[in-house]
Amino acid sequence: MFLMFVVWLVVFVGIFRGWRWTPILALANLGYTLLVLRIHMTDPIPLNF
Amino acid sequence: MATPTASRWSMPPERAVLLSRVINIVALLGLIGVLAGSLHLQFGVGEQPCPLCIVQRSGMVGLAVGPIMNLLWGMSPRHYALSILAAVVGAAGSTRQILLHIADPADPGYGPAVFGWHLYTWALVTFIVAVVGCALLIMWQAPFQAGDRGVLHDVHPLRPLVAGLIVWLSLLVIIWVFIDLAVIGVYILPECGLGECPDDPANTAGLAEPLGWIAVLSAGVVSAIIALVLERRWRSRQASGA
Repeated sequence: MFLMFVVWLVVFVGIFRGWRWTPILALANLGYTLLVLRIHMTDPIPLNF
Repeated sequence: MATPTASRWSMPPERAVLLSRVINIVALLGLIGVLAGSLHLQFGVGEQPCPLCIVQRSGMVGLAVGPIMNLLWGMSPRHYALSILAAVVGAAGSTRQILLHIADPADPGYGPAVFGWHLYTWALVTFIVAVVGCALLIMWQAPFQAGDRGVLHDVHPLRPLVAGLIVWLSLLVIIWVFIDLAVIGVYILPECGLGECPDDPANTAGLAEPLGWIAVLSAGVVSAIIALVLERRWRSRQASGA
C-alpha cells in the first residue's frame, strides 16, 4: 500500500517536471489501486441482488 | 452550410481559461478539505485508516491529478478524463465499504459519523460529484480551444495582479495536496510497513482539539509560503522576459 503513494509522489514530480508519460503512470497506479482493493475484498457480503 | 457564429453566451478564450482555472483551484480546495478532514481524524482523533480507507485516499489523490495537470500543463479534456477514472476507482472502494456495513443492520459502521454519515459515504458523494463536475467541464469547449499551456506559460498575460494571484493560488493548492500526499504516504509505514495493512488497525491517542487541526492546517501555511516564494521567482522571470 505504501508503494501506491510512492507512485503518486512520482506522478506529482512528473507533472511539475513536465514528463509526458506521467498520465500513463497515473493510469497504471489507478490499476494498482484497484488490485489492492480486490486483495482486500475478503469478507463475503450477504446481499441478494 | 452555415458556419457556427458566436452566441451572446460565448466567452472570450482568455476569460474562459481564467474561469476554468478558478474552477480547478476551487475543486482542489474541496479535495484538500476532504483530505484535511481525514488527516484530522487520523492525527487529531487517533482513528487509524483501514485498508479500504487508504484505497479511497488513493482515489482522492488521483482525483487531484487532473486539475493539477490543467493548471500546470493547460486545459485538456484528457486531464478531466483521468480524474473521472480516479473517481471511479475511489468510488469502487467506498461502495465496497458501504456495502460491508449496510449488510448487517446491527453494524455501527467504521469510525465516527460526520453530519450523520460515515466518511466512506461522504467519499462516495465526493467521487460522484467529481464525475458529474468533470463531465460538465468536458462539455464546455471554450477553454480547450484557447491554446492554454498552463498558469506558468501564459500566452495572453492577464493584468499583473490577477495573473500573480492565480499563479500563487494554483501553486498553493498544488503544494498543499503534495504535502498531504507525502504525510499520508509516510504515515502508512508505521501502520502497515511495506506490505498490506491490517483490516482493523489499533487506534492511537491522537493530538486532541485544537492541536489536531493546527497540525493539519499548518500544511496550508507552509504551502502558502512556498507558493509565495515560487510566485515571486515566476514574476521576476516574467519581468526579465525569460
